[in-house]
Amino acid sequence: MAPKGDEILQGFKVYPLLFLCNRSTNWLNLRDADSGRILWQGNEDLSLPDCEHEARVPKKILQCRAVSREINFSSVQPMDKFRLEQKVLFKGRCLEEWFFDFGFVIPHSTNTWQSVIEAAPESQMMPAAVLSGNIVIETKFYNGDDLVSTSKVRLYYV
Amino acid sequence: MGLLAILRKLKSSPDKELRILLLGLDNAGKTTLLKTLASEDIAHITPTQGFNIKSVQSEGFRLNVWDIGGQRKIRPYWRNYFENTDVLIYVIDSADRKRLEETGQELEELLSEVALAGVPLLIYANKQDLLHAAPASEIATGLGLHTIKDRPWQIQACSATAGEGIKDGMEWISKTVKKK
Repeated sequence: MAPKGDEILQGFKVYPLLFLCNRSTNWLNLRDADSGRILWQGNEDLSLPDCEHEARVPKKILQCRAVSREINFSSVQPMDKFRLEQKVLFKGRCLEEWFFDFGFVIPHSTNTWQSVIEAAPESQMMPAAVLSGNIVIETKFYNGDDLVSTSKVRLYYV
Repeated sequence: MGLLAILRKLKSSPDKELRILLLGLDNAGKTTLLKTLASEDIAHITPTQGFNIKSVQSEGFRLNVWDIGGQRKIRPYWRNYFENTDVLIYVIDSADRKRLEETGQELEELLSEVALAGVPLLIYANKQDLLHAAPASEIATGLGLHTIKDRPWQIQACSATAGEGIKDGMEWISKTVKKK
């Protein structure tokens, strides 16, 4: 029998990384996709339900031509129909969304998914002061129709 | 040449979405290659215990690159990722002469998979910067690549850590995909 959503959640982690410790770790990060440089990396358990996390991201990320978001997750259980929905919300309104089908997830695996997207032309870009605190990246993981985990990260541009 | 640049070149191909599958034995350099393509730091790469995916989107066109771990215990799961593959990249550690036979066997199995029938094959003969690396021509002979008649294929010498040869392989991919 296929494991149910809550069973999967027990073996599912999207928590981060103590960056300096030499262990296999889970995390979410934002990069300047041109230089590959990490601009922010999360260090809390992002898979905790009903919990919104905060990211203080350097303002200069808004000048990047392309930004990548990378999420690292582990699963003890195998999954057959694993997928995610990632939304970028501004004051709750969806600015951008990604749907990604992973399909099979290997038992006892650690995996990453990175999405790269080009920035809007500078003329259409809202200023940091307007965006700061109003942007939320919401990532929902599903196995088929079962919601496995939700993570929300609110961005502050500093 | 980053992934966005590759994507821009591919835009004239008929599909809206392109799936590249990256396979090879453990320690062949698959993840390093993927990170090099994205100009990312390659100093702290550890064996992949699952998959790494990069999705690049530009003007409605999408490129997904799937790097699947190559350890022996993970290889039986490779087949779960064959479906809808547009290009197969197979990475070989050219300096690991002891395992050339093993990598050849794995490749042969992949080429006999129905789900990968006719899928263009790019082989990266990686780690050419190492002193004992076998040249690409020797690997091609050893693997009997010249007997492959059922798909376009190419072998490309490269060094993922030095970033050499990667671009040439990607150029081949964009040409081959456009012809499809």
